Amino acid sequence: MKDLLTVKLKFSEYHTIFPKIMLTILIFLAVLMLLLNIVKRIREGTLTAFRFQFFVDNYDKLKFYGTFVLLIAYAFVLELIGFLPASILFMFLISLLFIGNVKKKSIVVSLANSLATSLVIWYLFGQLFDITLP
Amino acid sequence: MDIFEILSPLSILLCFLGVFMGIIFGTIPGMTATMAIALFLPITYTLDMVDAIALLIGLYVGGISGGLVPAILLNIPGTPSSLCTTFDGYPMTQKGEGEKALKVGITASIIGGFFSLTVLYFFAPVLASVAIKFSSVEKFLIIVFALTVIASISKGSLLGGIFSGLIGVYLSLIGMFADNNQLRLIPPGFEEELTYGFSLLPVLIGLFAIAQIFQESEEGMKASPHQTFDFKKEKKNPFTFKIFNGQIINTIRSSMIGTFIGMLPGVGGSAASISSYSQAKNFSKHPEKLGTGEPEGLIASESANNGLIGGALIPLLSLGIPGDSTTAVLVGALLLQGIQVGPLFIPTNPDLWDGIIYALIIANIVMFFLMFFSIKYMAKIIYIPKYIIYPIIIVMCVVGSYAINNGVMFDVWTLLLFGLAGYVFMKIGIQVAPFLIGFILGQQLEKYFIDSLKGSGGDLTIFFTKGPIAWMLWVLIAVSLVYAIMDNRKSKRSGDQSITPST
Repeated sequence: MKDLLTVKLKFSEYHTIFPKIMLTILIFLAVLMLLLNIVKRIREGTLTAFRFQFFVDNYDKLKFYGTFVLLIAYAFVLELIGFLPASILFMFLISLLFIGNVKKKSIVVSLANSLATSLVIWYLFGQLFDITLP
Repeated sequence: MDIFEILSPLSILLCFLGVFMGIIFGTIPGMTATMAIALFLPITYTLDMVDAIALLIGLYVGGISGGLVPAILLNIPGTPSSLCTTFDGYPMTQKGEGEKALKVGITASIIGGFFSLTVLYFFAPVLASVAIKFSSVEKFLIIVFALTVIASISKGSLLGGIFSGLIGVYLSLIGMFADNNQLRLIPPGFEEELTYGFSLLPVLIGLFAIAQIFQESEEGMKASPHQTFDFKKEKKNPFTFKIFNGQIINTIRSSMIGTFIGMLPGVGGSAASISSYSQAKNFSKHPEKLGTGEPEGLIASESANNGLIGGALIPLLSLGIPGDSTTAVLVGALLLQGIQVGPLFIPTNPDLWDGIIYALIIANIVMFFLMFFSIKYMAKIIYIPKYIIYPIIIVMCVVGSYAINNGVMFDVWTLLLFGLAGYVFMKIGIQVAPFLIGFILGQQLEKYFIDSLKGSGGDLTIFFTKGPIAWMLWVLIAVSLVYAIMDNRKSKRSGDQSITPST
């Protein structure tokens, strides 16, 4: 009993003790949840009925993948071309994407929003408060 | 001592300015009170000691309080400690009670603020001497106690919630373990970037802000129902101070939890509102309603949130130990002024001690009036169309993540990674709030666990044999867990009945 309740401590292995304990509990919980789920499914007779759908019905493919691509592109070009040009470009494109059309009004709104926000952030944080911007 | 002998008109003005700027920082997701104080530090070099502290205290109070605005209106916690404010605040906004929710939150904030201020003033030396006696065993149990909230906020599956929370704990362990400087759990190739693990702020705003933007873009950025609500319609059920009538015990208990947890060095801010929210849920007459837009939960979270300000100042001013990251920056500010904080601070700097107390009083009052009467205008944020506000939020999040560690591009990647992770979590059933709580508390859980074992030579029974304080904490943990399990059963049973009446 004494051995069971004692953890071997070695200075060089301090860092692995707690992660190991956590991983053990996680695996235990995962197995437990799986078993409970199987038991429940057998009881309800739906053992083989799988219905998992990742996206909602009729999801907006353009906006979803567009957001994804634009965010990654933004992070990539941030340090390459600097905060101001990258942010103006990114905000303009993503606003247009969110509005969802390229009418004259949407372009004006997006442009105004991207210019105003980027410049205000750049001036207020970058210049006035001296925050490190990309 | 007369208040005006200590505080000049200039320091009062600076305090006012501090609160105003603090609220703005707190309101913008991704900017925190810690950041606000850090940013204004350079300005304080040129100021008088009391003026400087007035400005910083104003920023602190404003920054912590401002976090409730985006938490309630946008479901994005403006600061880590307003996490639990989203649980009931946002549902209230969805019901069209946004303004009422804000006013409840602000009122709870000032009560919590004044409660902790009183405690700070009268009991600072006494209470600090209790908290300093806590060994790592008691600290470990305090963290476990805070973690029991995971059980009570799990939606649907209790096991699933605990699982999500422990994944959070596991991921928070990534990086170097401070005791023996060994790296662990780092994917190959990222040793340099992940030496200190993922930064909390990008993880937090990624999980909440960016994940939400992914979800909305999947649904096509339609206008939310709350955007069509009109604040004027609230005439039917407006805010009155009567809401607090049945909530006196809740308010005081939450302020007390906030103050006490703020006082424990190293346990930090988010644990305060998390614990008091879980206790409010446990003691509530109708726990199943919490999380669906009840002022009760809002009061618990916000009064604890502001209660920790005074609490965190107790170990700082009496022992020189910062209780959270914000007070850590405050130590820096005081050191810059040539002041050593420690047990001798109060006796040797009576003027500054009074100045801090007065600054806290003024900051809390200014915060209350500033927010209470301008909230209508602040709340206008939610009427801005999504295609305008979301791009702004993304850029602010990116700037905040980049700047938090003074220009680390990896923090921006962390933001995007956890944004995507949060989105995937929602889809596969990992619960975001328990995950985040695990992530926030994980490192401290490990530290105090290992420290306790070092003290006992690896003997696990130390957690049960340490002494009366540890036993008391075990009782609290057990009570909290039992309540959570019973609550979960109850809500499950009523939920089952509505879906399949036959069972």
